Amino acid sequence: MYDRGAATESRPYKKVMSTPAFDVIVIGAGHAGCEAAYIAARVGARTALVTIDINSIGQMSCNPAIGGIAKGHVVREVDALGGIMGEVIDATGIQFRLLNRSRGPAVQSPRAQADRNLYRTEMRRRLSEVENLSIVEGEVAEIKIDQSRVSGVELADGTRINARSVVLTTGTFLNGLIHVGKRTFQAGRSGEPASIKLADCIRGIGFKTGRLKTGTPPRLDGRTIDYSKFERQPGDERPVPFSFKTSTIDRRQIECFIGYTTEAVHDVIRRNLDKSPLYSGEIKGIGPRYCPSIEDKVVKFAEKTRHQIFLEPEGYNTYEVYPNGISTSMAEEVQVEFVRAIPGLENVKLLRPGYAVEYDFVDPRELYGTLETKLVGGLYHAGQINGTSGYEEAAGQGIVAGANAALAALDREQITLDRQQSYIGVMVDDLVTKGADEPYRMFTSRAEMRLSLRYDNADQRLTPLAREIGSINDTDYQAFERRQRDVEHVKSYLASAKVSELGDDLLGELELEGSAEAYRGKRLDYLARRPDCSSEKLRAIVKSAISDGIDEKEIVVALNDIRYSGYLKDQETFARKRGRYDEMEIPRDADFSRISGLSNEVVQKLGAIRPRTIGQAARIPGVTPAAVSILLVEMLRDGLAG
Amino acid sequence: MYSDDTIAAISTPPGRGGIGVVRLSGPTALDIAASLFRSQRLSSEASVFSSSWFEPNHAQFGHIIDPDSSQAIDQAVLTYFKAPRSYTGEDVVELSCHGSPVILRRVLELVTANGARIAEPGEFTFRAFFNRRIDLAQAQAVRDVINAQTEYQARVATRQLEGALSKRLSPLKEAVVEIIVHLESSVEFVEDDISPEATAALTDKLDQTIHGLNEIAASFSFGRYVKEGFDLAIVGRPNVGKSSVFNRLVGSDRAIVTELPGTTRDALYESTSISGVPVRLIDTAGIRETSDIVETIGITRSRNAIADADISLVVLDASRQLEREGIQLLDSVPEARRIVAVNKVDLENILDEELYDETGVHISELYENVVSVSALTGAGFEELAAKIFERLSGDASAERDDIMLTDARQHHAVQCATEHLSEARELMIAGELEEIVLLKLRAGLEALGRLTGETLTEDILGQIFSTFCIGK
Repeated sequence: MYDRGAATESRPYKKVMSTPAFDVIVIGAGHAGCEAAYIAARVGARTALVTIDINSIGQMSCNPAIGGIAKGHVVREVDALGGIMGEVIDATGIQFRLLNRSRGPAVQSPRAQADRNLYRTEMRRRLSEVENLSIVEGEVAEIKIDQSRVSGVELADGTRINARSVVLTTGTFLNGLIHVGKRTFQAGRSGEPASIKLADCIRGIGFKTGRLKTGTPPRLDGRTIDYSKFERQPGDERPVPFSFKTSTIDRRQIECFIGYTTEAVHDVIRRNLDKSPLYSGEIKGIGPRYCPSIEDKVVKFAEKTRHQIFLEPEGYNTYEVYPNGISTSMAEEVQVEFVRAIPGLENVKLLRPGYAVEYDFVDPRELYGTLETKLVGGLYHAGQINGTSGYEEAAGQGIVAGANAALAALDREQITLDRQQSYIGVMVDDLVTKGADEPYRMFTSRAEMRLSLRYDNADQRLTPLAREIGSINDTDYQAFERRQRDVEHVKSYLASAKVSELGDDLLGELELEGSAEAYRGKRLDYLARRPDCSSEKLRAIVKSAISDGIDEKEIVVALNDIRYSGYLKDQETFARKRGRYDEMEIPRDADFSRISGLSNEVVQKLGAIRPRTIGQAARIPGVTPAAVSILLVEMLRDGLAG
Repeated sequence: MYSDDTIAAISTPPGRGGIGVVRLSGPTALDIAASLFRSQRLSSEASVFSSSWFEPNHAQFGHIIDPDSSQAIDQAVLTYFKAPRSYTGEDVVELSCHGSPVILRRVLELVTANGARIAEPGEFTFRAFFNRRIDLAQAQAVRDVINAQTEYQARVATRQLEGALSKRLSPLKEAVVEIIVHLESSVEFVEDDISPEATAALTDKLDQTIHGLNEIAASFSFGRYVKEGFDLAIVGRPNVGKSSVFNRLVGSDRAIVTELPGTTRDALYESTSISGVPVRLIDTAGIRETSDIVETIGITRSRNAIADADISLVVLDASRQLEREGIQLLDSVPEARRIVAVNKVDLENILDEELYDETGVHISELYENVVSVSALTGAGFEELAAKIFERLSGDASAERDDIMLTDARQHHAVQCATEHLSEARELMIAGELEEIVLLKLRAGLEALGRLTGETLTEDILGQIFSTFCIGK
């Protein structure tokens, strides 16, 4: 799936107009680019955000929603690290839901529908107010490289911008090819030009590239939908915000709607499969298995008689509706036919057809855990160019790439997020260690330390790091410290208060199973560990008992910390297979070929990935446990310096 | 290999030696060893074994006790080396036993059942290196050991994976993956229109899986016989026909047979197979009081053979009165490893009259596993072979074609898996959160992966996407 472009001859010198130098240039203002530019500026780097269209800053080109299980976790982490996505969605969300509310705290996660236009304008407004950040409209045609180090970029109009670091976030723009039935056209997103020159430049550097595919559904005119045929899906009564800075969200919330396809719909699709670029072999890029088009669903799950559709309004002041679940690249007239076969959509008007887009990505194994490329010093990749999908995944990488681009430009030490500490760390480690065979999406099951990586404790895990790199201000950090003090206060209360002090009435409300003798003499934290103890009821009880101005959110964190405390040791054993040695660092210039006893295949893999730690080395597919032992012994022997 | 737990291994070369050592290293080495050790200096009434009682660098003489049966396994010397002044730099305990392989394996089993883990190849040296107890040149040797051993294991594993073990394990592992797939889907894809199985159905599936693993684990000792073969010692009083029985089992006139008592002076070895399982037959000198120096040495060897053999076949003479010495000999062989062959039933029908002891109880009522044979005619030998086979395979679950756990490490992996899965089952029944149950299930799957290859998160996700239609 990959092909490696040959390095091209350097082009003849061209005289260009030069602008003042920046520390960091971020190419692209999607969700990765916005975060990268924002955090780079916050860390203190003079930053330029270059976008092809200033109106599409923070554009949600797929569904108008942020968060979901694991993805919501990532947004909380972005926020805890000093990013912007959480605040923008809190300010522009039109429906908020905490998913998995009835399940364990580690798998709960916030999700919100956004007003697509508001999100975009709010993002642009906030970025334009950031100190150290300039927004530049223009198309980047070339990345300037001087002796394997990036030196700046050149725009299509010949303008040259110099910088010490460059963050490349191309989204689907690299050789973007849109399919609607048999029609194809080159573009990044609907209506926007593709970055063909830049794609050539990237191949010219010699990166290994591959091709992926993603798709969207048609957009519907809400005025032509018969909502009575759909089930209503309201938001939460009390929204849980994404940002630690947001205290409450009082905005009016809108409803979404749930409906289903029918066999009649599937028949239309089956009859027209020959007109589908997906099934006639025109689309070669690999699409995500967790987000198949409706034609894929009908073919691969032929036994299913219906598939779910969510009707998601795109905002307060628009009648555009996003029908989530029927992404398609069928011919436009087929789209009209099958959509109208859906109960409630008999008379629907399509505003825009759905489409599939194929695009180039760069093998993320070309990157270090800092997201800097191995081939070009100072060049960072984030977002879909690394083979990921999703706004949240893009944002998470934007934070890592942007922060490191800034830190490196300021001659400071770069950061790598640990797998054990964050979902962002899991994602980056997966990408740079294993590459991407399909668009990479975050799932909670990817994290070995799932019990510890909760949405509610992202600040505990990451805000101290944000403080270290300077991406959050004093006020926000003091608020964080106050929250932590409150959490500790609640915990010490739970550890000292006796269950019997609650009184029989309150205990009765908890409806615990079994005999009261089991908990009479215990402390409250014992109840917090019991599977049959409702955390919502316990929370309410604690809140009324403690009543000294502590926010309910901190009570939640304290209870959740305790809930899993009995299993953390098991989790640690499972996650750190080599115990303390997992974190042992391997020098970047290690010469693996000097180690006798390693097979050629292993030497080649270690040399290509250049793992940062022993733990990462062990995760490389094909590196055996015996090889890891040998590597470890060798490292202790002479440090492995090259 | 890298955790700070306590490891154990037989640290003397395989086979019978004068002394065999089981070595433990790690924080709980002394506690584990102390819990199995009863010192000579303490009265047998003392039930508290305190680790604080052992002094570093001192050897204690005593017995190794099986805590379940309270039976003494062997006499042993316990030597305790306190961290950091030990080979590995950790607390180390060496249990020096008699060098019989059977005893050493049993001691190792007891030690691992009480919390130690079987050491990986080179792990003691590895720890010694990390704790700076050995120098750099020796580290090179560790690496070679790791390489050599792993290649050997890989070969063994490959052989077995193609065979019966993987046939038995694969469906069990698939069942675990399936349970994980359903639980993961139910927490990961709440927004999707999917219907993962209910907890009750998953608990049932887990039950069956644990049951299957238990069967495999129970086959461990028999599987080891299949792999390594077993030793069958033929013992008895002089002139009861041991060598004739030996020849009959071997299928040739390998041993010299005369009517004179004491013809066999030295132990005689011959390999054959019984019901397809390789066996090393040992013909021994008849046990009696004698002044003949050569015969005395032979008799000592007979006693050693009884101690080492996996099974001792005690041969009696149906045509002669059962004397006190005969009873003593029968009693000196542990019951679990004893089969009694009443030979010469082709002679006159005196069996019923003669084989009573002094109190008038018949041999077949005193002892189990009594088979009547005639080495002369071959009568009863099929029954004898069946009895030997039954003894080896333990309970009835051991069908001969599909029992393939041959190695202590494999056995340990299956036990680990069973332990994690049983915990997962308990938690499911208690209504514990999915992600907590999944932690145990994933740990169980990982243990199985040590035998059949790792299941990656990607594989589980792949199976979710092919089982359920995910994606809005």
